[in-house]
Amino acid sequence: MYGNTFPETLQCLKTVTSLFSQKVLVNDLKRLSAHGGASNLQAQRQFSVSHRLTAKVLPPRKPRERVEIPGLEMVTYGERMHYVPGLTKPSYPPWERNYKDPRYYKAPPVHEMPLFKEKPCYVYNQRTSALEGVRQAAWLTKTKMISGFPPQLLSMAETPELQLPYQDERVENSIKHARFWDMTVDRPDKGKYSNTLLLNMLHLCATLQSSHPAIGRRILAENYSLAATWKRGEDLFQIRGRNGLLQSSMDPLPEVFGKKDVEDTLNHVLETFYPVSPTIDLQKTIVYKEEMNSTGFRDDYPYPHAHTLYFLESADPRCKLRPEQFRAKMVMFTFGNALARAYKLYGTQPQSVLDRPITVQAVGTNGRLFQFLVFQLNTTDLSGDDGIKNQMWLDEDVELYDFAKVRPLIKRKQVKVPAGLAGYKPGTFSKFLALYLHGAV
Amino acid sequence: MAACRRLPLLLPKKLPQFRNQKYVHTEAVVKEPVYPPIVASLTAKSKSARLRQIEEQVKKICAAPVQEKLSLVTRIQRQKFVVYPQTFARNADRWYQHFTKTAYIPGLPEKFTLGQETPAGEEGSRPAAGYSTVPGIDDEALADIRALVSRVILHEHWHLLKKGKPYMFRRQDQLVGPFLRNLVAELTHSLTKYNPLLCLSSLDFSPQVNFYWRRGQRIIPKGHRRGHLEPQRFQIDDHPHSQIRIAQQLPQFAPLEASFTAEVPEVKYAPNLMPLFRRQYDNNIFTGAKLPDPACYGHTQFHLVPDRYHRDRKALLQQTDQVEVFLRANALASLFAWTGAQAMYQGFWSHEDVSRPFVSQAVISDGHFFSFFCYQLNTVALAVETDANNPRKNVLWGTESLRLYDSVQDGEVVGLNDGVIKLLVQFLMNRP
Repeated sequence: MYGNTFPETLQCLKTVTSLFSQKVLVNDLKRLSAHGGASNLQAQRQFSVSHRLTAKVLPPRKPRERVEIPGLEMVTYGERMHYVPGLTKPSYPPWERNYKDPRYYKAPPVHEMPLFKEKPCYVYNQRTSALEGVRQAAWLTKTKMISGFPPQLLSMAETPELQLPYQDERVENSIKHARFWDMTVDRPDKGKYSNTLLLNMLHLCATLQSSHPAIGRRILAENYSLAATWKRGEDLFQIRGRNGLLQSSMDPLPEVFGKKDVEDTLNHVLETFYPVSPTIDLQKTIVYKEEMNSTGFRDDYPYPHAHTLYFLESADPRCKLRPEQFRAKMVMFTFGNALARAYKLYGTQPQSVLDRPITVQAVGTNGRLFQFLVFQLNTTDLSGDDGIKNQMWLDEDVELYDFAKVRPLIKRKQVKVPAGLAGYKPGTFSKFLALYLHGAV
Repeated sequence: MAACRRLPLLLPKKLPQFRNQKYVHTEAVVKEPVYPPIVASLTAKSKSARLRQIEEQVKKICAAPVQEKLSLVTRIQRQKFVVYPQTFARNADRWYQHFTKTAYIPGLPEKFTLGQETPAGEEGSRPAAGYSTVPGIDDEALADIRALVSRVILHEHWHLLKKGKPYMFRRQDQLVGPFLRNLVAELTHSLTKYNPLLCLSSLDFSPQVNFYWRRGQRIIPKGHRRGHLEPQRFQIDDHPHSQIRIAQQLPQFAPLEASFTAEVPEVKYAPNLMPLFRRQYDNNIFTGAKLPDPACYGHTQFHLVPDRYHRDRKALLQQTDQVEVFLRANALASLFAWTGAQAMYQGFWSHEDVSRPFVSQAVISDGHFFSFFCYQLNTVALAVETDANNPRKNVLWGTESLRLYDSVQDGEVVGLNDGVIKLLVQFLMNRP
């Protein structure tokens, strides 16, 4: 097999090496500069290509400029099919493939793309880290923010009928399982334990289905892609991307703000942060689809209402958001879900007041600290700064426990923090459970 | 005469009956051993000393608490065969049966009845009696569960708008994995009202299950220990898709004694011919959570068939007969590891055999086809010394792969199989 092809392969190798010799040189130099030392040179000796590894890399030669003089006919050696001294090199029209090959696709320039628009659009995606955090999110979504937990849900959290049997013990066990017992190693990673903790807590809440059958009318979705478009001032904004776990339900959530509170927002003035523009850190695109609104599901979905979104700080290892930016992401995506569903129900024309405000909840965690958000969409008319505003309750940085240490913290021969779970706060899980049971009680 | 015998002058009429004293009901005189027992030396360079060392080690392990037992058994690292539950080897189920001393019985235990196999007599009586084959669940609830299953299938395959095709060789991960997760979670949560065991259960996603054991021995062919006998060590490192762990043990499917007559295939070849490869690393015994976790017994495991062992790919390689073999080998290895680890968490090990059988279930699926398996661990004494007179065998019951649904068309699930749903429900409803 090798006997026949050997001369051809040798020729191919020769051409290849002459073509790639420069590239090989550059690669070797890169390796040399990155690691330094002669040991790497030894490991990557090239026996087939004989050139100095540290030879100077010549710059690429620009081809001679071809001058076209109108009226002057160029006599080329194209018809003769070989080089003739004195005649000029023929120039042919560029060859274009008459079939589509995805490996060799050259994208047209931006202004020739079919979706090109003159006006830019600012896109918020799952990796955006907004500079001003929740303030920016509140301005973009025309929302009035209230810090704290909704009082009616708080009272619901405290009723003993709505608690799990042996709640504290079971929640402590689930925290210990996530933090200590989940893997053979002593200490699982933050990403792993925060995910396990969230799933354990969801499982605990879902076991209440025996006493509250309405919980059975919900489903979890992991990889859904959200899209929503709205106008704010003169700018167009879009929110796109996969963000977290979505719990959808067959029944809509009841409102958290009464009609009077909604009307009171007329007087509220949104916080601006001049001189920083509200579009800072958002991705500015000029190629986009207008009116891109999608909940991520088809129209005949049996669970049309978004109930709760669960965000994990460590879901995307490449994108680490600070706490304020993480809360802004929660606000934006909750708003996006509510807006997409509002468009489906009431149409895409901006409505100044929705008959039935859409409520969506969100929970964000990093494994120990929880952020609770309840968002109510009152209006889809977001272009002006006046009028009815949306509202939200935001409970920031609620601790579930103080410490979960594998080895005790000892300072000056005194145990400051013991090993194991320390400082468990039962109120946090009650709030989580209240948000879960909201709408099913 | 009395003087030379030193007898008293006046002999009493009735001498005390010395002769019959041993028949009188008194406590026997315990003779304390004056010298310590004669045993082989502990530190000599001899075979009997080595045997005595092993005996001392075994006594030490038996006397230790469970955590210590586990660490003592898995302390020393040596070259061991790494057994992969999902393997490309041909006829892997026969090899694994030999390694784990398991007998395979086709079909499920009497507890679970396949919906398709109900005889005609029962069919006639069923509508009259008004109850379904699943105890504790009536027809209405079963219809609800059927609707739930079809909603979960449609959610994943129809309603969720997906951009683009899944990556090459990641189809099972990206499409079927989330579907199975949703199915498991939804079924478990909806059955909590019928099975209170599930209320206190722990549902793990992508857990780890490890087990380490010894079986058989070989003569070391080369090296400074040439000619010596060495036990063959095995390790399973399994990653099921999801599992349910409970705080109480499931009841046995069949009595221990029934396994004495079961047949275990014996493979005369060395394990590395399977092919099985040796490595040396940490020996782990793990059920999915460490010892302090209260949910230390297993209920059901769910496994996902990966892309490279999918039946379509097996068909491409003209190995369609190996599809069922693969599923059986997977169930065998995974369930043996899980039940073995559960037994070790209770303090049973090779030299202290289980006093009660440990039982677990598994469902292996690739999205369309579901196979159901039940495993009963009757013995964990598989080492050479303890296996010599051990008549007990472990038992695996299993089904062939059954189709859950044919396809999804226009927002409807076509060909939803009720029997498979009933089996799933029966599996999850299993309780003591």
